[in-house]
Amino acid sequence: MYLVANIDAGICAATSCKLCTQYCPEANTILYDNEMGREQGLKYGSAYVAVDRCKGCAQCVWVCDNMAKHNAIKMEMIDQIGDTALTENVTYGEKTSRAVLANPVRGQ
Amino acid sequence: MSLDYVKFAPGFEKFMPKEYRDMVEHGPFGKKITVSQVGTFKEILEEHPMCAGCAMTLFIRLAMIAFPNPEDTITVGTAGCGRLAISQAAVPFVYGNYGDQNGVASGLSRGLRLRFGDQPKDVVVMAGDGGMADIGFAQTLHSWFRKEKFTTIMLDNEVYGNTGGQESGMTNRNQVLKMAPLGKKFEKMDMLGMAKVAGCAYVATVVPNNPRRVESVIKKAVLVAREIGPTYIQAYTSCNIEYAIPTDKVMEDAKTVETDRYKFSEYITDEAKEYLSQLYGYREYLPKPAAKMESK
Ligand SMILES: Cc1ncc(C[n+]2csc(CCOP(=O)(O)OP(=O)(O)O)c2C)c(N)n1
Ligand code: SF4
Ligand code: SF4
Ligand code: SF4
Repeated sequence: MYLVANIDAGICAATSCKLCTQYCPEANTILYDNEMGREQGLKYGSAYVAVDRCKGCAQCVWVCDNMAKHNAIKMEMIDQIGDTALTENVTYGEKTSRAVLANPVRGQ
Repeated sequence: MSLDYVKFAPGFEKFMPKEYRDMVEHGPFGKKITVSQVGTFKEILEEHPMCAGCAMTLFIRLAMIAFPNPEDTITVGTAGCGRLAISQAAVPFVYGNYGDQNGVASGLSRGLRLRFGDQPKDVVVMAGDGGMADIGFAQTLHSWFRKEKFTTIMLDNEVYGNTGGQESGMTNRNQVLKMAPLGKKFEKMDMLGMAKVAGCAYVATVVPNNPRRVESVIKKAVLVAREIGPTYIQAYTSCNIEYAIPTDKVMEDAKTVETDRYKFSEYITDEAKEYLSQLYGYREYLPKPAAKMESK
């Protein structure tokens, strides 16, 4: 098994800083959903990770902890992470994206 | 190379992979995209085999977001790590033999000007420090002396990363590497100085721990190369493998190196300033107003 980044939308959606998205070396990997946090009654949308593209470098963790100082990202084992985003379940919209969360191991 | 080349042939949409459909429908082509919008549009760079956490990968990703007109851009690369990603993007990529990239780009840029006249097509070279300052040194310098209008970007990881750690002209003096066990014997080459002497119209150094700055220098370099002359960007893009930087410390390293010895610098000729301010509205380059008239 291997580690991937997992973003706690509950923490991220309090500020919407979007820093990690700009620092992930991989393209189309940390995406942003304008509604994800709002649906939970939080102020903003949230960043989330398309885990099939994540290479597990943890650079986003450093950026969120040290630059943004929000501590919203943790590295977790892919089979322990629960439902999460996968590229095939992402849709893009007007200035946002949306992911239907699924189990990354079973793919549903 | 135009907005049309990315579109689907009629009836083929449903057979195209999701990533391709997303790229056509929600990619940056024909739009004004900025780095602060990442995560909400489909980037043109796809999956590739560069190492996890590589700063060069991040730089290439940011550069591609910053291309002012990706639909009218061709990239040129060569042997080295960067081409593994540069070639996996939805812009045409030309592979020059190792060291030939600026010669290839010279011909390409001239040919495109003949073929497309005043419709700008941007040629952007991205190659490693070994490919540019060692093996391709003569062609790099000659393209600048000949005032070839395209952008040259050095992905400076200060080592031959792709072949396991030989020193390059851009490695720092005394640096010990796997295949330079006694340490490098001479100073890091001053390619920035040479770019200015050779007549580049815009020269900048940048480190990818500041994404908006990367965006800004790439845009300026590509725009200036359209009309004014050669442009050169030297980017510190550490190799976390050969320099043993833990992947979660790559940005910390970038910050330290930027502060110590890779400070942001920008050089621009007056002609390039005028061009940017007049055609693209860069206010920072407008001539400063003369001292205020005495109020009556
Ligand atoms: C003519 C030729 N000589 C040697 C090589 C082998 N080779 C491939 S990549 C490389 C080194 C690349 O180093 P650099 O240009 O600094 O780029 P990096 O991999 O560090 O990004 C070499 C020597 C080659 N492909 N072609
Ligand atoms: S850096 Fe942290 S708080 Fe900011 S967008 Fe990323 S996960 Fe959210
Ligand atoms: S761990 Fe690395 S590849 Fe994965 S999301 Fe974070 S920065 Fe991107
Ligand atoms: S070998 Fe070094 S420069 Fe090449 S992809 Fe890996 S970390 Fe990046």
